[in-house]
Amino acid sequence: MSLDIFDLRKRFGDVQALDGISFSVTPGEVFGFLGANGAGKTTTMRIALGFLRPDEGRVVWRDRPVHDWHRRTWGYMPEERGLYPRMEVLEQLVFYASLYGVSRSQARRDALDWLARFRIRDYADRRADSLSKGNQQKVQFVATILHDPDVLLMDEPFAGLDPVNVALLKAAFLEMRDRGKTLLFSTHQLDQAEELCDSVAIIDRGRLIASGTTREVKRSTGHQTVRLATSSDGDLEWLRALPEVQVTRPGRDYTELRVGAGSDPQVVLRAALEHGDDVYRFEVADPSLEEVFVERVGAIDRAEETLAASPAQASGGPDR
Amino acid sequence: MSDLPNIVNVARREFLARVRTRTFLFATLFLVIGVVAIALVPVIIRAIDRGEEPTVAVWTADDVDPAADPVLTLDALLNAPTGAQDPVTATGGGFEVLSVDEVDAARAGVDDGDYSAVLAIERAADGELAFTLYTNAAATGRMAQLVRQASTAIAVADRLDRLGLEPTDQAALFAPAEYSVAWADPERTDPTTDEVTQGTDYMLGYGLTILIFMMIILYGNWVAMSVVEEKSSRVMEVILNAATPFQLLTGKVLGVGSVAGVQYLAMLGTGLVAILLQGRLADLILGGGGMAVELPEGLTVGLLLVLVVYGVLGFLLYAVLYAAAGSLVSRQEDVNQVVTPMSLISVAGYLIALYTGTGLLEIDPTLLVVLSMVPFLSPFLMVSRAGSGDVAIWEYALSISLLVVAITIALWIAARIYAAGVLLYGQRPSVRMIWRLARQGM
Repeated sequence: MSLDIFDLRKRFGDVQALDGISFSVTPGEVFGFLGANGAGKTTTMRIALGFLRPDEGRVVWRDRPVHDWHRRTWGYMPEERGLYPRMEVLEQLVFYASLYGVSRSQARRDALDWLARFRIRDYADRRADSLSKGNQQKVQFVATILHDPDVLLMDEPFAGLDPVNVALLKAAFLEMRDRGKTLLFSTHQLDQAEELCDSVAIIDRGRLIASGTTREVKRSTGHQTVRLATSSDGDLEWLRALPEVQVTRPGRDYTELRVGAGSDPQVVLRAALEHGDDVYRFEVADPSLEEVFVERVGAIDRAEETLAASPAQASGGPDR
Repeated sequence: MSDLPNIVNVARREFLARVRTRTFLFATLFLVIGVVAIALVPVIIRAIDRGEEPTVAVWTADDVDPAADPVLTLDALLNAPTGAQDPVTATGGGFEVLSVDEVDAARAGVDDGDYSAVLAIERAADGELAFTLYTNAAATGRMAQLVRQASTAIAVADRLDRLGLEPTDQAALFAPAEYSVAWADPERTDPTTDEVTQGTDYMLGYGLTILIFMMIILYGNWVAMSVVEEKSSRVMEVILNAATPFQLLTGKVLGVGSVAGVQYLAMLGTGLVAILLQGRLADLILGGGGMAVELPEGLTVGLLLVLVVYGVLGFLLYAVLYAAAGSLVSRQEDVNQVVTPMSLISVAGYLIALYTGTGLLEIDPTLLVVLSMVPFLSPFLMVSRAGSGDVAIWEYALSISLLVVAITIALWIAARIYAAGVLLYGQRPSVRMIWRLARQGM
C-alpha cells in the first residue's frame, strides 16, 4: 500500500542511468530523494510518472501500476521551472488544472487562495516572465498541487529560494502531509532533507546507497557523533589518541567527534574527566545526513563533477 | 479517459495565446486591408480614370455645316467599348460631349476646370475641315488620341459628303469587314482560346496555390515553433504529467489551425465582400452606372469549397509532422533545420502546381493526375487543377481519401516521435534516432 519502486534499470546510450533502484515510500510521509546531479533522481521520477519506460523494473502505487491511476493522482514539479513566459500567472494555473479535469471556476478560486498564501496574490494578472525566479518557483508549486494530487513528486523544489520562501514552502509541505498526501522530493541540500523528511533514499550513479526512515539511514553507518566542550578547548592531542575516535570538526565553541561503531561514546566523557578538564558540554547524537552521505558516497559536489565529465552523456537520453 | 477535453483545453490555450497578441492583430489587419485593396483595384482605377476625363466641349464655326453631327460622332467614338470582358475595366464611357456657342468662353472654361478640352471645328480656305483641340492635358494623352481619331472620321465623312455621297451609302462604306480567327492546325475544331479569360484562369489557380502554400508553410512553422517554445520553457514537463503526447500534439495542431482559419476567414471573407460590393461601391464613389454584382470569372462556390477542404487537410498533414519535427530540437534556432524535409516537399508541390497550372511546364496529363493523388502534393495540385480546369469527382474522392489515410498515419508516427522527442534536450536529431524513437515510442 505504498509507492513501490522495484529494481529500476534504464540505459541511455552508453550511460547506465539507473542500475537497480528499489525503495518504498509510505503513504502520508515526506520522502527525501538524495543524490548529486546525475545520480538518477530525475530519471527515476520520470519513470515513476510514466514519461519514460524503464528497461527493467516497475513502479506501483497502492499495488497498482502507475498507469492505472488517473493523471490527477500525480503532481509533478520539474527541476527546470516550466511556465509559459508570456502568459498571465492565474491564467496558466487555471490551464494546468483544467488539463487534470478541474473546473475553471474551482481552479481559479484555489489558485487565488494559494497565491495569497505564498504572498504573490498581486501577481495573479502579471505575465510569468515579469516575476522573480523565486516567485516563479512558488507559482510552479501551486501548479503542482492545484489539482489536489495524492502523490507529489518534486525535483529540487527548494533550489534558488531565499530563506523566507523556503520557510513558506516547508510549511506548505507539512500541511500537504497532514492532509494525507505523499510527498517525494529530490534535493542535494541535506540539512533540509534532514529537517523535513520522515524517510530518505540516497542514490549515487544509478545505484541505491541507503534507504529507510531518516533515523535508520543516519544510524546506518554505525558511527555516533559526539559534541564536546571542555575547559581545555584547543588542545586536541589527547582526543586524537583515543581509539576509534576522529575529530571531524574542531571548533571554538565545541569540538565534534566521530565515534566508531566499535566504541562507546562514554569513553570520550571518561577520558575528558581523566584529563582533568571541566566538561561544559557533552552530547551524543546520530550523525547528520551529510556525514552519512560523505562517508557512503563522497562529497556531494565532487560526485557532480565526475558525472558531468562523462562523455557518453551526449549520446542518448535526457540531459540528466 | 477521453482525449477530447484535453485536446480542447490545449487547443483553446494555443488559440487564445496567439490571437491575443498584438502581432496577430496587426498582421490580420494588414492582410485584410491588402485583400480589400486588391479586390477594389478596378474601382479605384476607374475612379482615377474618371477624374481625368470628364467633359469635351465642341465648338463649331458658323460656316462649317458638317455632314455628320460632330457631337454625336465624338460621343460615339469616345464612349465606344474597347472589347474587354470586364465591364469595370472597359475603357469606354465616362466622356461627356456637349456643344458650346462661344469658343473663347469655352477655352476659359478649360482653364477653370469646367471642361477638360474644347474641340474647335472651322472650315479652312481650301474647304477642308480644320480641328483645334484646346486643353491643358497631355497632347499625346489617351483623350487627345481618341479625339484625333474622331476628328479624322468627321473629316472623312465631310469629304465624302462634298463628293456627293449619300449618308446611307456612307454607312455601307464604313461597315466592318468580315473577319475571323482560326487555328493553324486544320484538324483542330475547338473554339479558339480567348487569351483574356485564360489569363484569369491561370491567375486564379496561381493565387489559390499560393494561399495553400502560405497556409502550410507559415502555420506549419508556427506549430513547430510553438512546440519548441514549450520545450525550451520546460512547460512541456509540467503538462506532460497532465496530458498525453497525443493530446498535446493534436490540441496544438488544432489550436494553430483555428488561428489560421480565423486569419483566412477574415482575409477571404472581406475579400469576397469587397468583390461583391464592388458594383455598389463603384456606384457610391463614381455615382450612377450600376454594374452587375458577380464573382470574378472562374471563382465559384465549388472552387472555394475545394480550397477549404484541401487547405484544411493539407495543413493537418503537414502540421502534425511539423509538430513532431519541432519536438526533436530544444532551441528556436534549430527549428529551420529540422523542418527542412517538410519545407522541401511543400515547395516541390507548390512549384509543380505553379508551372503545370500556368502551362509554363508541359507535363503528361496522366502523370499530372497521378501526382495530384500523392498526399503531400495533392493539396497544391488539386487546387491548381480545380482552378484551371475540370477535375472528375472520383479524382476528388480518391485524393481526399488518400490524404485522410496519410494524416492518420502521420498522426500516429508523429505522436510517437513527439512522446520521445519532448524530453530530449541538447541533441542533434539524426535519421537513425528518429527511426528508433518512432519504433519505441519513448
